[in-house]
Amino acid sequence: MTAALTLDGLSKRYGDFQAVRDLSFQVEKGTICGFLGPNGAGKTSTIRMILGLQSASSGRIDILGSNDGRKVRDRIGFLPEERGLYKKMTPVEAIAFFGSLKGLPASEGRRRAREMLDAQGLGESKRKKMKELSKGMSQKVQLIAAVVHRPEFVILDEPFSGLDPVNQQGLEQVIRDLAANGATVLFSTHVMQHAERLCDKVVLMARGQKAFEGTVAEARATTPRFLELEGVIAPEQAAGLPGVSGVEVASEVDGVRIIRAALAAGGRGQDALKAAFLNGLDVRRFELREPTLHDAFIGLTGDNPDQDQSVKVAGMEAAR
Amino acid sequence: MKRILLIARREYGAYARTVGFWLSLLAFPMFAVLGGGIPLLIKSSEPVNQVVLIEDGPAATGLATAVREALQADVDRRAAQAGEAKQAAQAMVPTGTEAGTEAASPMLNSAGASAVAALGRSRIRLVETPADLAAAPQGAEQQAMVNRYLGDELPKAERLDAVVFLTRKDGHPAARVWTARTTNNTVESFVSRSLRTANSRQVFEAAGIDPAVVAETERFDPEVTAFSPSSVSGGEVSFRDRAPAFIGLASGFILWSLIITGASILLNSVMEEKSNRILEVLLSSASATEILTGKVLGVALLTLTVMAAWGGIGATSLIGFAPDRAGEIGQVLLHGGMLGYFAAYMVGGYLMYAVLFAAIGAFCETPRDAQTLMGPIMMILVVPILVMQMALNTPDAPVVQILSWVPFFTPFLMLARLHADPPMIEIVGTMAGMFVTALFMVWVAGRAFRAGALSDVKLSWKSFVGAVKGGR
Repeated sequence: MTAALTLDGLSKRYGDFQAVRDLSFQVEKGTICGFLGPNGAGKTSTIRMILGLQSASSGRIDILGSNDGRKVRDRIGFLPEERGLYKKMTPVEAIAFFGSLKGLPASEGRRRAREMLDAQGLGESKRKKMKELSKGMSQKVQLIAAVVHRPEFVILDEPFSGLDPVNQQGLEQVIRDLAANGATVLFSTHVMQHAERLCDKVVLMARGQKAFEGTVAEARATTPRFLELEGVIAPEQAAGLPGVSGVEVASEVDGVRIIRAALAAGGRGQDALKAAFLNGLDVRRFELREPTLHDAFIGLTGDNPDQDQSVKVAGMEAAR
Repeated sequence: MKRILLIARREYGAYARTVGFWLSLLAFPMFAVLGGGIPLLIKSSEPVNQVVLIEDGPAATGLATAVREALQADVDRRAAQAGEAKQAAQAMVPTGTEAGTEAASPMLNSAGASAVAALGRSRIRLVETPADLAAAPQGAEQQAMVNRYLGDELPKAERLDAVVFLTRKDGHPAARVWTARTTNNTVESFVSRSLRTANSRQVFEAAGIDPAVVAETERFDPEVTAFSPSSVSGGEVSFRDRAPAFIGLASGFILWSLIITGASILLNSVMEEKSNRILEVLLSSASATEILTGKVLGVALLTLTVMAAWGGIGATSLIGFAPDRAGEIGQVLLHGGMLGYFAAYMVGGYLMYAVLFAAIGAFCETPRDAQTLMGPIMMILVVPILVMQMALNTPDAPVVQILSWVPFFTPFLMLARLHADPPMIEIVGTMAGMFVTALFMVWVAGRAFRAGALSDVKLSWKSFVGAVKGGR
């Protein structure tokens, strides 16, 4: 597959603070790539460098065959993390305006705007001012404004933040549709569940560095499966089961413990269960749990993706 | 280029489509009219003071008559002035043939006549001394009576505004003026003038000069005509000769207002986009230079709209009410090259300030954020306002000349100095300095704008300079 985006040894430094360090990865054409990490992991800085809004301290970017995002900006759609549109414009005017900045004729922009607003269930709000719309509606309008010119590459920075579960589901469908129509999608998020459902590929970031690049399944495979045992069981008895390690007592009530443990790669749950019965352990509940992307992230980086890693950068360096 | 025009059009439309813009546009001429009308209104609505005169002892005999005569002379003089003003007002009303104009003329005449009549009225009315006050013996009893007439004790119709005790001190007229309000000095001033005249007459009479001769001498108003070899006619100085100085000063003020209005619109517009997170979206669709240029251009068009509206209102009013003066002002503007200079200074001045304000706006989300830099800038901007007035009478004063070379002051001060034909080297030199500075400011502001648009850093001189040095 051809790469729509290639980052090679990309770094960004704000004075003494290293926001992005030696970042390299590729996003293939027509795929959905999740750019994952906690706030402050360097995602927004990387996206701004890809778009050419900020210069890289070192490294190389290739997007849609150009080494400068500004040169191909008409072929890119961008939804920033913090959103806003002109409050006194109507959704149709706002979408058509941003479409026209990307080279779309105004009349075609208005036509597509109406069509896309209808498709997103905003037909009733077409003539309202932006300031009259709810936050969820405004975010939908902004997303439409970002893709109205039918870009080849779509970059969405934390697109799910601030949306309720229903709108999050709707947005997931929009992203799937974009990819189905041939667009390449790169979206950043710190909520792993969206990436698990959507992505062909994920890039995990922590403290400005890439922690992992690959498919969701590959990411999960880096982390062992978990066993959860409930009963009157001593931790030592659980540790003696085949393939079991890292035993932890999660809770204990009247001698009944919930014990969690990792199952080694290649280890089989039924072997552990069989051994438990053969050893006469008082097992009341036995559960084998597959690792999530969230677990994989913690396993790979030692960080919690929900934890803020952002650092206040003094002076003007933040803008460079 | 297309993106620049799109941003400019949106910027223009965002303001030009609002009612507030057109209201604020009309506010300037409206306040100009009010600025001239309100003092007249205040003057014409001043209350008439009810005053009694009391000659304090035999030595004061004749002083009350002198004050009465002075009041009559004042009334006559005011009536004469009002008559002249009325004639002038009638001459200014256009004698058009259209029905509307004809219908408007009597109305205008009537309004003008009322205003003139109100202004022509004396603010002092001498009334008979109330019998009880006249009969009160000097001392505490008389003082108590005075306090009663000046206080709130009596019904309004019976109250007095002032009681004047006329006397002589060392042989000269003097007075003690009691007023109801401590801040009312109208009666005091009038009595002072009247007694000065009475004293003059007394002195001249003592020297054997006929009072009629003295009165005639006081009425004399010399006819003084100004001449200058540099006047348009080569002799007598007319309105046409003095117009360039006033037009230059007015142009300087108007240019200052336009530039500051435009730059402030730009500052607010960028701040709004920054706080609404629109700047980042815009930056993904257009370069910082395109955004800045588009915004500057859009607001420039707004400024031109304001200028056209003000110019249109001014020209229409002048042509309607003083067609002769309108012709002379037109000559100054067109043949004196004033319009050309105005356009050049407007471009340079607007560029310098607009891009600077836009760059500051890129760092701010609220006007409060902008205060750090805007405070000193606004203080500096007051300087040309003060110096421009000096340039009216002394356009070649060293301070005016030196400050004209400061590029940020050049547009305003040079416009105010043009009437004095400054040396060509000064005109060319200051204009070149202004344009070089404007280009430098575009470069500086472009870098700062780019950095500020994506920055969360609080605005300070350090962060601003850092942005200029660092750029993208």
